[in-house]
Amino acid sequence: MPPAFDPQLLKGVLSVLLLRLLAERESYGYQLVQRLRDIGLTDIADGTVYPALTRLEREGRVSSRLVPSRSGPARKYYRPTPDGYAALAQGADSWKTLSDVVNPVLARSLPPHPAEPSED
Amino acid sequence: MSPPPAPASATIRPLAVSDRLRLEVAVWSLDAHLADLPRRARVAHRREMRTNLHAAARDVGTAEALRRLGPTRRLAAGYLAAEFGEWQPRPAWRTASAIVLLAVLMMTELVTEAQNAFADGVRAIDPHATGTFHWPGFRYLIDDTTYTFTDGRYTSVGGAWTPLFYALLAAATIVGGRLWRLLPAWRRHHIDD
Repeated sequence: MPPAFDPQLLKGVLSVLLLRLLAERESYGYQLVQRLRDIGLTDIADGTVYPALTRLEREGRVSSRLVPSRSGPARKYYRPTPDGYAALAQGADSWKTLSDVVNPVLARSLPPHPAEPSED
Repeated sequence: MSPPPAPASATIRPLAVSDRLRLEVAVWSLDAHLADLPRRARVAHRREMRTNLHAAARDVGTAEALRRLGPTRRLAAGYLAAEFGEWQPRPAWRTASAIVLLAVLMMTELVTEAQNAFADGVRAIDPHATGTFHWPGFRYLIDDTTYTFTDGRYTSVGGAWTPLFYALLAAATIVGGRLWRLLPAWRRHHIDD
């Protein structure tokens, strides 16, 4: 069973993920949830994604349109705006910078006990 | 632009009436928690949530769709934070409505009791009172009430709320319901336009 994701960690990067997925393909809410599960976020709650989409729309980073559906009411499809693409680029850079710092630290071999404090 | 194509593998599975009802309960439960949002936003959220829940229920079943959605109160908190900003002040329509209702009920009860007490006072002095009497009421808040007694029985006219009462009620509603917080949002909206 894959480890559950820390919601707080995910919260910080969710909007970037959503923008990226929407930049690849216009999607509606539940479809995005499915796509997030497909990429490995199997534990993500639907209720986490929908408000994040609302926030992106309020911030002008995604636009939406209603598309008729064969299986029920019209679906609200989202796509990034120019501001959304800019936020995506900035967010991706920030994530890369952060992971470049964090990953090497976490990849170091762990000693059995913390070292004694130094005089420096 | 052509609409995004439906997934080829999607099979349309009709939902049972009981499933639809369960989804509607979730949709309206969410709506109740979104009472502080403008009506248009609530309608939009209801529609979108209904669409998403139907798609999820067809995909994984109604019970699982609702489990994955999580508590509607938490979802609503997410929507409110998304609409108003995480730590931004927001209006409280439900509190405002409660203040209006409570204030009107309390004042009506108070005035009715006071009017009855005045009439009882007249009859206490003279059980067969006949004539016209005036009760000035609560100065500035309600108009005079005129009682016309005939052998201890009476009819009354007047006692309407004054404009000052309505002004105070509106002020209490705005202050108590935090509705002044709409002003910056309204300004932002009109500046954006």
